[in-house]
Amino acid sequence: MPMASLSRWTMSYFAAALALLLAAEALAVAGIGYPAAGLGEPATLVLVHLVAVGWLSLAMAGALLQFVPVLVSRPLAFPSLALPALTALIAGLLLLTAGFATLGGWIDAPLDILPLGGASLLSGFALLGLMLVATLLTARPIALFTRFVLVGLACLAATALSGAAFSALLSGRGGWLGTIALLPEGLPFHALLGLGGWLGLIAFGVSYRLFVMFMMAPEPPARDVRPVLLLASLGLGLAFAGLAAPFAGIEPGASWVATALALLVLAGLLYGRGILALYSARRRKALEINMLASIPAFAALGLGLALLPVAVIARAGDGSIAALVFLLAFGWLGGLTLAQLVKIVSFVTWLETYASRLGRGPAPRVGDLVAMPRTGWWFLLYYAGVAFGTAALAIGATGGFRLSMAVCLAGTIGIAAELIRIRRLSQIKAADRPPAHERPRLFAARAEERRPDHVHTGTIAHPRA
Amino acid sequence: MSTPEPSPIRELDVRPMLRAGEEPFQAIMEAVGALQPGESLRLVAPFRPVPLFSVMANRGFAASDRALDGGDWEVVFSPVAGIEAEAGLATGSSPSAMSWGDPIEELDLVDLEPPEPMVRILEALEDLKPGDVLFALLAREPVFLFPELAKRQHEWAGNFDASGTAYRLLVRHGGGRAHK
Repeated sequence: MPMASLSRWTMSYFAAALALLLAAEALAVAGIGYPAAGLGEPATLVLVHLVAVGWLSLAMAGALLQFVPVLVSRPLAFPSLALPALTALIAGLLLLTAGFATLGGWIDAPLDILPLGGASLLSGFALLGLMLVATLLTARPIALFTRFVLVGLACLAATALSGAAFSALLSGRGGWLGTIALLPEGLPFHALLGLGGWLGLIAFGVSYRLFVMFMMAPEPPARDVRPVLLLASLGLGLAFAGLAAPFAGIEPGASWVATALALLVLAGLLYGRGILALYSARRRKALEINMLASIPAFAALGLGLALLPVAVIARAGDGSIAALVFLLAFGWLGGLTLAQLVKIVSFVTWLETYASRLGRGPAPRVGDLVAMPRTGWWFLLYYAGVAFGTAALAIGATGGFRLSMAVCLAGTIGIAAELIRIRRLSQIKAADRPPAHERPRLFAARAEERRPDHVHTGTIAHPRA
Repeated sequence: MSTPEPSPIRELDVRPMLRAGEEPFQAIMEAVGALQPGESLRLVAPFRPVPLFSVMANRGFAASDRALDGGDWEVVFSPVAGIEAEAGLATGSSPSAMSWGDPIEELDLVDLEPPEPMVRILEALEDLKPGDVLFALLAREPVFLFPELAKRQHEWAGNFDASGTAYRLLVRHGGGRAHK
């Protein structure tokens, strides 16, 4: 059936993701993690995983659960797994960060919670992958968009598996690996697969499809999109090979990482050119807040991708590389996610509230649910923090970085508050809101089973009942 | 009814079925499915079965039609070389769509951003009477509209045009109304 319904737990994924972003930003303001601590130190690992797994991955997962069924016109497979997956992911992340805290000596807990966290994350991502892959494969033929998501999910599997292996090693339970040295050589590949493959490549694929819709732009030609997928897949395949190389007794060197990165950078630049073309060919001239607030994210992507190879070749040192990775994670992925959350949350809330009432009388538009221009100011604050934070990292100004993160935190709090106000229909005049018991709940959509009564099978050859 | 002879043209007269109040769609689809490669289908109906043209076009058949005496129509669907058979109507489409009357309202919603097409279609349906048919042209498959149509007991049939750029949707008013 080409039907999509509201994903029941997407709002819970978003809420957890935002809470973990706020936690990560608060820790950074408190001076925990890089640059006060080293890149590989437990404090930095806590921060990195709160952002990558807690914030970006949960937000991505929630968005995929809602939009993969829409984009392939098929219902979500195994929807009852969404909540167990979320629970396993949050529990896994908390165990993992507690494990890092134990490594850092701040708390006294058995180190075994590290691999326990790794295993819990692995099972949560496995459930998520099962739902998404089963949904994607019911739609034939396999579209180009589907391939982006499938490659991204394969990268997620590699990232989660390698992460689980690292957590076993760090807890001193890596004996089964024998003399195979996965750490620290595997770390850059783990990061490339996670940020570049799971988060990056899927953001590429989904944005091509959604932006066409949001901006009324013509579909990008497949000849422009295919090279992006091809180059990125080559780079990610190389990263995966780098992760697996120690098992074959091969030691992947720095040039291995650099080649994989170069392929991803090329893919990213081609993608950026395609997005620029979508913006300029759009038929909807006035940009909505989600597309306006995505512009700095794409600027961050362009800047980060252009400078990262320069920094690597010039051996610019940890500071510059950390600054550019921060710019890509907070500026591009984080900014893009926050911007699109405004659209997704308002769209889903509108649909939940007004779909059954359409035609009865005037209904607000989706955009009416968003407080403008106030929401725009919060984004300005967030991106200002990202820009100053990038500069502070590049010059090694620890105090400046903490201050920048405070600005980021303020912007994020503002955006989170706006999202809550969207769910509460705060922008809609009280008289135009539905009765209280029919309003959207903050964390879970009122998903009801909706089936047409005249359809019993999936073929047109069957007569009406 | 049908004359199951091994000839290059098979025939199907759906007039007796329609007189008896039966849905001929399945019989037509079975006849199409039973065609050998290269065979054509001659269909006789009491009206010009326009919705069937696109279904058959998507299956790789070209239609040539002519009016018969007494208001009946004859359509010969012949296979077009090189066109691959594709799915006709989107799954979930009402199989009775080919017997619906002409649309009394047509909406061009190609240039509207979601969910505006859904809003316009549901609003337009509120002004129609049960049995009325509405046609809408959209830029994409309206996946969030279908559950709402079902809840209001409207029937629909839709598919993409041959180029895959526009979605054609027929909705027949089923008597339901907006919630409360």
